[in-house]
Amino acid sequence: MASGAVTWRGAVRRPGLGAALPLVLSTLGLLGLAAGLTRLGTAPERPLPWLLGVLALLLLGVLGIRAAAQGEGRAARFLPAALTGLLAVLAVEVLLRAYGVPAGLIPTPSRVLVALWEARTVLLQDTFSTFVLEALLGFVVGALIGLILALLVVRFRFLERGLLPYAALFSSVPIVALAPVVVKALGLEWPSKMVVVAITVLFPVVVNAVRGLQAAQPLHLDLLHTYAASPSQTFRNVRVPTALPFVFNALKVGSTLALISAIVAEFFGTTGHGLGFRIQIEVGRFNLAVVWAAIVLASVVGLAFFGLISVLERRFAPVPENS
Amino acid sequence: MLVVLVVAVLLYLPLMLWANVGPASRALASGADLGCPNAIACATQLRNPVLPAPGQLVQGFRSLSVPPTAPTSAPYNAVVTGGETLLGLVLATGLGLVLAALLVLSRSFERATLPWLVASQTVPIVAIAPMLAVLLGQYGVQGFLPKALIAAYIAFFPVAVGMSRGLRSPDALQLDLMRTYSASPGRVFVQLRLPASLPYLFTALKVAVTAALVGSIVAEISTISFSGLGKMLAENSRASDTIALWVIMAYGAVLGVGLVALVGLLERVVTPWRAGR
Repeated sequence: MASGAVTWRGAVRRPGLGAALPLVLSTLGLLGLAAGLTRLGTAPERPLPWLLGVLALLLLGVLGIRAAAQGEGRAARFLPAALTGLLAVLAVEVLLRAYGVPAGLIPTPSRVLVALWEARTVLLQDTFSTFVLEALLGFVVGALIGLILALLVVRFRFLERGLLPYAALFSSVPIVALAPVVVKALGLEWPSKMVVVAITVLFPVVVNAVRGLQAAQPLHLDLLHTYAASPSQTFRNVRVPTALPFVFNALKVGSTLALISAIVAEFFGTTGHGLGFRIQIEVGRFNLAVVWAAIVLASVVGLAFFGLISVLERRFAPVPENS
Repeated sequence: MLVVLVVAVLLYLPLMLWANVGPASRALASGADLGCPNAIACATQLRNPVLPAPGQLVQGFRSLSVPPTAPTSAPYNAVVTGGETLLGLVLATGLGLVLAALLVLSRSFERATLPWLVASQTVPIVAIAPMLAVLLGQYGVQGFLPKALIAAYIAFFPVAVGMSRGLRSPDALQLDLMRTYSASPGRVFVQLRLPASLPYLFTALKVAVTAALVGSIVAEISTISFSGLGKMLAENSRASDTIALWVIMAYGAVLGVGLVALVGLLERVVTPWRAGR
């Protein structure tokens, strides 16, 4: 982002109380509509007025969010997204009820919440095997092997010519095509999914880490040469810091890929654990509230994983202001 | 590159034998009649090998590729999947460009939606795919389009992020120059920001096309579909036809590489001034 002082529209305005009023009105209004529909019991005969009401309230909410997003404070950075999410969920709840969409097609957010609570033990067990055993372990293994390979590739020119083109080639291969083969070869237990995840994470890490390790500027290298720095000092002080942003970029990509490939791999056979297994089996029973609950859990875990890596990135490879 | 290929091929044979001897000897010990004298000989002709023997692979390729236009052949299904992927990529690019422009033009829009765009990427789309297909089918959208939409969902994010980075890439000096020309914001956008973003767009598109391919294959696996590589994967996985899975995986790899090459070709045509790189 640009330095922040100069925005597209010019001057920076102060955040005001003008944001709070429309937001409170919009939220209360949507809650009121939902409560009205609950009292009504069934879906209304003519849903159009409800739709118009929701749209008007959303417009009011958007105005409030716009006002809340002005300024530079912590609140201005985090509140708008949270409010957008809240309003969207409320609006979906009201619209689904107003149009009487059957729960077998799309369950309302409140039903999903209830399902999340009622099936919490099973879902948490599933999350444990999918996230901790498969995604996280596979991610760590894949990233470590990838980093070691990248170091070898940078160290030996022969490998750079011989191995790197294949790594680039393999990173454009659809990983899901790999999953059934690996699961068939290694069995239904969780290690087979861990291997799929590791392979998925491996190639982006290799390609990006090599690019990063080679991105050091000749000027910096020359400077260290004039300091009579040893190769290992040069490596530690120049090459590793330049490579870190590239590596973290690959790790971020890998973190989302890891969860997705763990779930896909579970589609090809499990021993009865895991979010992928749960989703597949509950879709078959049209028990969509549980399916969405599993998706919500997977997203929360995935987002936390992504956030963790972002925190590590900010700690070890801070992004310069102007990028 | 060639040396590594030769080494890999030479290593493959012993690796294949080592991986297959175990299951082969177990099958022999259980008294199954495999039609071969000992475990080593059986390792090359298992029906469900851990790693298929070269001869089996060649045979699998032949039986899945001839004739190439049959609805059960891998080339035909690869073309179907490729078509879905490209349609998905076009949709993703359109959505990504609009989002990128909004992200760059309005900071409140960025603050309100960017976290959700990131979150949308951690949602396991594979989980949504079957429901999305049912849902779209309910409202009369069937066939090609649902899969392309799922592919687009998975691919729009790299485009939006790359493009917004590209739209921000002109530096202060260039923006100041445009101001001295008293150019309107619209002109700055069209004449400076848009051309400057093209290299970023194509880098993003190469990532997006791979993602879209994954999306369309996953969509085929998890929805009721009658053609495409994903459907072949699901079918053969159910039938435990390991050799076919290997062949389909190879076709998927070729398709992925081909699609990335296609984007590269497009890049050369659209931004010829960067062709030297």
